[in-house]
Amino acid sequence: MLTSVLTLLALGFIASVVLAVASRVFYVEEDPRVEAIAEVLPGANCGGCGFAGCDAYAAAVIQDSAVSAGLCCAGGPEVAAKVADLAGKAAGNAEPQISFRRCVKDQGKVQKKFEYQGLPSCAAAAQVENGADACKFSCLGFGDCVKACGFGAMYIENDLVQIDPDKCVACGACINVCPNAILEMIPRRARVQVFCSTKDKMKDVMNVCEAGCINCGKCVKKCPAGVISQAEGNIHIDHAACLAYGPDCEEACVDACPRNILRMMCHKGAAVKADAAAAAAAAKAAETPQANA
Amino acid sequence: MASMWKEFSKGLWAEIPPFRLMLGLCPTLAVTKSANNGLGMGLAVIFVLALSNAVISLIRNIIPKKVRIACYIAIAASLVVAVELLMQAYTYPLYQQLGIFVPLIVVNCIILGRAEAFAGKNPVHLSIADGLGMGIGFTMSLTFLGALREVLGYGTLFGHGLFGPDFHPVHFMVEAPGAFVSLGLILAGMNLLSIRKALRRGENPADNPMPGCESCRGCAMGRD
Amino acid sequence: MMEYFLLLISAVFVNNVVLAQYLGQCPYLGCSKEKGVSIGMGAAVIFVMILATPITWLIQYKVLVPLGLDYLQTIMFILVIAALVQLVEMFLKKAVPPLYSSLGIFLPLITTNCAVLGVAIVVQRESFDLGTSTYYAFATGLGFMLALILLASIRERLEISRLPLSMKGVPAALVLAGIMSMSFMAFAGMI
Repeated sequence: MLTSVLTLLALGFIASVVLAVASRVFYVEEDPRVEAIAEVLPGANCGGCGFAGCDAYAAAVIQDSAVSAGLCCAGGPEVAAKVADLAGKAAGNAEPQISFRRCVKDQGKVQKKFEYQGLPSCAAAAQVENGADACKFSCLGFGDCVKACGFGAMYIENDLVQIDPDKCVACGACINVCPNAILEMIPRRARVQVFCSTKDKMKDVMNVCEAGCINCGKCVKKCPAGVISQAEGNIHIDHAACLAYGPDCEEACVDACPRNILRMMCHKGAAVKADAAAAAAAAKAAETPQANA
Repeated sequence: MASMWKEFSKGLWAEIPPFRLMLGLCPTLAVTKSANNGLGMGLAVIFVLALSNAVISLIRNIIPKKVRIACYIAIAASLVVAVELLMQAYTYPLYQQLGIFVPLIVVNCIILGRAEAFAGKNPVHLSIADGLGMGIGFTMSLTFLGALREVLGYGTLFGHGLFGPDFHPVHFMVEAPGAFVSLGLILAGMNLLSIRKALRRGENPADNPMPGCESCRGCAMGRD
Repeated sequence: MMEYFLLLISAVFVNNVVLAQYLGQCPYLGCSKEKGVSIGMGAAVIFVMILATPITWLIQYKVLVPLGLDYLQTIMFILVIAALVQLVEMFLKKAVPPLYSSLGIFLPLITTNCAVLGVAIVVQRESFDLGTSTYYAFATGLGFMLALILLASIRERLEISRLPLSMKGVPAALVLAGIMSMSFMAFAGMI
């Protein structure tokens, strides 16, 4: 009886002493701030900050003075402020962003080349003749991005992915999984956006989709701030510069677009130019245009 | 009283381990060669689980968070040693049959899983109700699986012959592969039931993913 | 020499720790969704088994048996294993950071892995000597890793095939384990 109690006690004692000594001997200098920051971060390990998970970002923020405290887009400004506080840095401006789908094939009635009956995944569908749609820059609609989204912010409706602006935290997990690269991260405040991502030539687009961008470049020429470019084959808007320039241009690019592919972000539904103009006026009145996806 | 009944009854069907919560799969597979073994193992687990839940719940406020897992293990281990000694004294043949799976109740994730998920956060009476419910659910599952395998594999139930001499037992069922396959098919059956239920309610069954090993929370242990 | 070879075959294939002795089901089903994870988990288990088995063997024969306290085996072993795992984690963190970053996340899980405690108890019941115990622990760990990697490889392919909704996940993995167990049993002919 006594021996058993004593043996157990002795073992417990030895084990705890060994562990206590070991925790001294093998103590690894760890900044307590790293742990504190890791606790503040959402812990979803989405990788939106560009580091391998929340812990990696927490370590990087402390160790590298060049790493901004405002990189966590999932946590938003609240988390950024806390991280900045803990890391002793200024909270870089974490411009709230949102994922945006550059395809409106439902409005352009894109024809199907064939009926695809393979694996229900975009990556697989894109392997077969660039997908079943006649346009190779269209949403494939199998929802690889939906699976990648850790926040349940995406869903498929009529073969087209939809983004729930309330749930999207702009982690960017969806951007790279789209084989047709039609998803793009834009600021939530973005004023205008091209609703099509095609790089095809004018005639090829005309043949397959009424809502396709024909890459005519009129918007590029009309933009007084020069923030629209065509460098990568399709129209690209530098949203930061566009927002910096402000509303003085009265959205010259939207007026210039002959096919109404470049639209005000606050504009919803099927495109009519008059609507766009009205929406533009409304947006200016409200001064807080919201992204719609 | 109502809340106690709720905690007790959830272990009997809605969260019955190991069919709904993937808890304690090792003994489920290992000791269910016969209904008798399943029942014996289940009773031992009821004893350990109810008592460990009670003790952990009693001292949950004094245990420092950092060493709580070690404390849970120590409590469970003491109880398991008690069960071992009891079984050696009164049911030696069963103890021999169950082999190393009696001491292994210590690391059975049903004990630690319930300690972490329930007893560490709830008052004593609810924890005991939870422990008893989960333990009885576990016993029912093990006895059911044991009976199934015994009937098909030996043609007996609790050691009594069921069929005439013409019966050819399916030895597959009492060998290791039979354990895996029959448990897998039972889990699939349980999933089928919940899918049917979801469909009847008009929900999308894919919205309620099947329980995986997540419910054991073992993977969350050791990191605070 | 032949004896050791047969022990290896027996521990890795015929009496595979997962598929024939039913130990370590939780990590077997939980960590077998991706091959990378399964390799890490398998390596961590081998590592801890090789350390834990000789230490528990020493405790059994140098402490418990002389004092006549065999019945404290279970509680002693689990405490030693828990402390050991913690110690290994600290040591790796300090001494071999790259190894820690690849194995570290699996180490806390191993405390509650019944395969580790199971092997420690089995070698006592079989009355192996110290050397054989350690060798047996290594072989068992190898068998665990093999079964884990095989299942993970199959499950990775299963992900993209059509399965009835009710079979998805654990049920399919269990049936697969049953089939693998059957094929592993075939090695019994070698011994």
